[in-house]
Amino acid sequence: MTGAAWLLRRLVASVAIIFAVVTFVFILIHLAPGKPCGPIGGGEYQDPIVCAQLVQQFGLNQSIPEQYWLYLVALAHGNFGYSFSLHRPVRDAIADTIPFTLQLAGAALLLDFLLGLGLGIYQAVRVNRLPDVVIGNVTLFIYSLPTFWLALLLLLVFGEKLRWFPVGGASDPIFCPLVSSLYCVADRLWHIVLPAATLGLVGAAGTARFQRAAMLEVATQDYVRTARAKGVPERRVVLRHQLRNALLSFITRFGLAFPFLLTGAVLIETIFAWPGMGRLAFDSILSRDYPLVTATALIASTVVVTGNLLADILLGVADPRLRVRTSAEVEVLTA
Amino acid sequence: MLRRSPPRLTVIIVLAVAVLAGCEPRGGCTGANCGTLINAAVAEPSTLLPPSSEEIVTNDIDEQLFLKLADVGMSENTLGDEDFQALLAQKWEWDGPLTLVFHLDPRARWQDGQPVTAADVEFTFNAYTDSAVASPFRPKLRRVASVTQRDSLTTVFRFRERYPEMFYDAVYHMRILPAHLLRPVPRDQWRTALFGRQPVGDGPYRFVRWQPAQSIELVADSTFFLGRPGIRRLIWRFTPNLQVAVQQVVADQADIREQLVTPDNVKRARDAKHLAVYTYVGNVYTFLSFNQRSPTDSTQPHPIFADRELRRALARAVDRASLLKSALGDLAKVPQGPMSTLLGRIWDPEIRQLSYDTALAARLLSAHGWRDHDGDGVRDKDGQPLAFHILVPTSSVLRRQYARLLQEQFRAIGVHVEVDELESAVVSQRVGTGKYDTAILSRSNDPSPGSGIAQSWTQAGFGGSNFGRYYNPEFERIVDLANSATTRDRARALWRAAMETLNADAPGIFLYALDNVAAVHKRVENVQFRADSWAALLRTWRIPTDRLIDRDRVER
Amino acid sequence: MTLGTWLALFVALVVAAELVRALRHRGLRQERWRRFFRHRTASWGLGILAFLVIIALAAPLIAPFDPNKQLDIIHLKNHPPSWTFLLGTDVLSRDVWSRVVFGARVSLGIGALGALVAVSLGTLVGAVAGYYQRWIDAVLMRGVDVGLALPRIFILLMAVALWDGLPFAALVIAIGLTSWFGTSRLVRAEVLSLRQRDFVVAARALGADTARVIFRHVLPNAAAPIIVSAALGVGNVLLLEAALSFLGIGIKPPDASWGNMIADGAPSIYTAPWSTLFPGLAISLVVMSLNAVADGVRDALDPREEPA
Repeated sequence: MTGAAWLLRRLVASVAIIFAVVTFVFILIHLAPGKPCGPIGGGEYQDPIVCAQLVQQFGLNQSIPEQYWLYLVALAHGNFGYSFSLHRPVRDAIADTIPFTLQLAGAALLLDFLLGLGLGIYQAVRVNRLPDVVIGNVTLFIYSLPTFWLALLLLLVFGEKLRWFPVGGASDPIFCPLVSSLYCVADRLWHIVLPAATLGLVGAAGTARFQRAAMLEVATQDYVRTARAKGVPERRVVLRHQLRNALLSFITRFGLAFPFLLTGAVLIETIFAWPGMGRLAFDSILSRDYPLVTATALIASTVVVTGNLLADILLGVADPRLRVRTSAEVEVLTA
Repeated sequence: MLRRSPPRLTVIIVLAVAVLAGCEPRGGCTGANCGTLINAAVAEPSTLLPPSSEEIVTNDIDEQLFLKLADVGMSENTLGDEDFQALLAQKWEWDGPLTLVFHLDPRARWQDGQPVTAADVEFTFNAYTDSAVASPFRPKLRRVASVTQRDSLTTVFRFRERYPEMFYDAVYHMRILPAHLLRPVPRDQWRTALFGRQPVGDGPYRFVRWQPAQSIELVADSTFFLGRPGIRRLIWRFTPNLQVAVQQVVADQADIREQLVTPDNVKRARDAKHLAVYTYVGNVYTFLSFNQRSPTDSTQPHPIFADRELRRALARAVDRASLLKSALGDLAKVPQGPMSTLLGRIWDPEIRQLSYDTALAARLLSAHGWRDHDGDGVRDKDGQPLAFHILVPTSSVLRRQYARLLQEQFRAIGVHVEVDELESAVVSQRVGTGKYDTAILSRSNDPSPGSGIAQSWTQAGFGGSNFGRYYNPEFERIVDLANSATTRDRARALWRAAMETLNADAPGIFLYALDNVAAVHKRVENVQFRADSWAALLRTWRIPTDRLIDRDRVER
Repeated sequence: MTLGTWLALFVALVVAAELVRALRHRGLRQERWRRFFRHRTASWGLGILAFLVIIALAAPLIAPFDPNKQLDIIHLKNHPPSWTFLLGTDVLSRDVWSRVVFGARVSLGIGALGALVAVSLGTLVGAVAGYYQRWIDAVLMRGVDVGLALPRIFILLMAVALWDGLPFAALVIAIGLTSWFGTSRLVRAEVLSLRQRDFVVAARALGADTARVIFRHVLPNAAAPIIVSAALGVGNVLLLEAALSFLGIGIKPPDASWGNMIADGAPSIYTAPWSTLFPGLAISLVVMSLNAVADGVRDALDPREEPA
């Protein structure tokens, strides 16, 4: 199969997946009993007159297929609907959170990658000796911690007691309400450290364990033993063969971790007051703010699917043998 | 390769960070009107348009943006007009028994430069009372017949009847709105109007920006006609988790936490050396509301709570004093009725309430046929167990704790209780549509008992705040008399009678009335908290020039 | 703690240790068991799990107090650990140790049920996809992609928010229904590679029908990823339950689960850390043990040669 045909097939599949996700969410919402007039939010109880107005305004009393069709039509025009609970257009509400979400996800993944890979490789090189055992147990412990527990602990130690990092928030509200200077970039980085560390440490522990196993498996493969037998310096053996393998498997793990960082990190975002999409999704679900929920699902799944697609392309570039297969199958080879 | 470059790379990174940190902008503000106060707020407002929201945080921020005609003084006296502070209205007089005339201060300006006129006042009244706006304040203005303008600075209020709190009703509930900016907005879209996210007011502070889910920033108006505010900048910073919000104040990253809530938080604040802890009278009471209508069909009575004797028995089963001591220590008082400590003038320890007596409760329940026939520890009658649900919002740590405490109290007399914890907007919706058995709710009091009590405990509140549909014509009669009582002593006696009548009916169990404990950074001077609205006097707070810290010197 | 409960605790410890030792002796004869017990962490993990399961089963004997009883809300609130209250009391004056013990029942039960649903479904889907290939495989795997595009918390929150009064058992099954995607991929991969092996070809040549081939020949040899998924799955469900409880959607009061103990104790974390510390440690301990056991199983069933 040629590269172009494969790409096309993957693109079509990706679009289908996004479509399926949105439909699933839409159906789930409308299947649930006892609607349609959700609370407007902010602790206000429902005035029946206002409720009727809203139902009329947003077409909540039409049949499900009708609402679905109207929704799709609106989407085609770039209209994501109106959020009941936030009193804003959905597009604005989500657009505000996207930079924060991407920044946090990026920082967490960076930490995950650097630390996890480093530890995993180091463990594999010093396998079964003391450093390996110690790191192995520590990663096991961190991997088993509930993340919000770790979050509260880090906040207490580094935020309150040592005061090295800010206690929550995404930026300094006085000097940097908007990222308008280089200083504000540094300020954002400073605020990102604790939440990214919480997510990244647990991720790194998992990556380190995974990487160690993967590297050990590769180490027994013929081509690596051949290289060693030929007298290739140890470092080069590690870097060229095992590291490249590590990269491939990391890319596939990235695809699995990303959805969580987008809408699943709600606990971390709540504790650290990080205004990301997880918190938005959570609040919108609990407020039964249907347009916002569906739109969040749409955006999140689009980002995930795009990320997976990019990962597949990267893999295809990195290892031509893999060009035909998808990332799911690559996982098989490297797991 | 990999091993040699990291040291160089890390050195570069560290240097870069150090340089950037050094670039921190330092402000140069000096003098008596500098200062930035960050409020570690928990709830974010949904809109800042005054008539559209009853949220406390909206009120706090609107206090700085929009003026009332006049406001209560620190004495919280709502009778007559002597103890009120002039704000937008410079002076006033009575023009007949039912007519009140206000003369507006000619110096008052909207932040876009337009003068505040009587047309604005008339427009505001019409908006607040318009059913299309559906303002929760509307019932409070029911006794004002009309508001008209005599000339651009004179506005006339006409009342339907004469009663002691006419002045209070005229000035307290409405924040005057800019007619020229709000007239174009269709009334039924006020709740979602853009003005609510970018308000333009006439108050001591100007709106600067609202970063959704992050912060709201206000800056002082140096030309404010009643005196330049002492603090230059106010920032409400939103942190959903109360613990973390308290942590921010303790770690000196925020300056104010207006409610510490739990004894643990109060202890932490007291231990922090840079914080001063202030106690002020609370205006909220929390109670367990009994729904007297069936949750599935509001035309039918509730199988348990429609029965007055059953309610009274259940109310006797709860040891409110112990619950309070356990959950709040000495930070609250047991209310003798639907009152917070703000209503000090009718707060009377002699008011008769149902006493805590589990033996009596058990006897009463048994006498009414509720016995444990099947030996499962739960009383039953005709095959139905004596069981109900308590609804609490997940957002309130205290109420969730109380729900568990109450569950155990009821279990001890053979009543099975399940606790449902739901998101607060959902709780509001359930409670508003009557789909609940019992719920732990909090209500805030205005300085006057009249408006709040009527809203929550009389027939006028059906479909409104009287979620449990409590109705006693005798109670309403006494309340009407109390509202028209001319002397304070007579009012007090009548309110006492009213409370006793209500307590005897046990429409709910009144659990606690919080005393507010706030933490404010020590450097702030002249910190005054008014009980009904803590932020009302923010503009009088000051930071002496010798106590300015870095974040105070920002010059924006 | 009374003498009786101390004795019961001691007995539980001894039984767990003996169980592990017995397994080791018995296993010494088989290669696989030997490989499993070579890992010290795997043995310890097994022992800890055994201990926790035993105390969960024998909870009424081991717990000195009724876990839901509020002992004295004024004087025994947030009492630090002592000889009477081994792990202290919580904010409602309930004994933390008793709640941990009874909470083990709930949490481990939830973990087991959720993992059971997840692994069963995942194995079924993965086996079918891997065996039949072609369009069935493509459709099923795209379905898995859809499932992986949204995080579990999102879907679970929706289920809870939209169905008021969802019984917790239904929530656990929902957790299982959203956790099978990874397992299905692993099983599919394993089945794909096993399919070509001689014994499968032989079985098919002999005329065995598909179901028989899958269940009797393929799956037993794919045991490694299935068991590992199950072990890790229980841990994931436990962590998920803790997260849901922290968000306010967990086991309803007054019943204890490790997750809702952490959630209830969080407001007093600075003044009474024991009420969150011990259930959190319990969860970590179980997840760690499960991971260690999973490592051991993976190694036992799918050995790699040691690097030179």
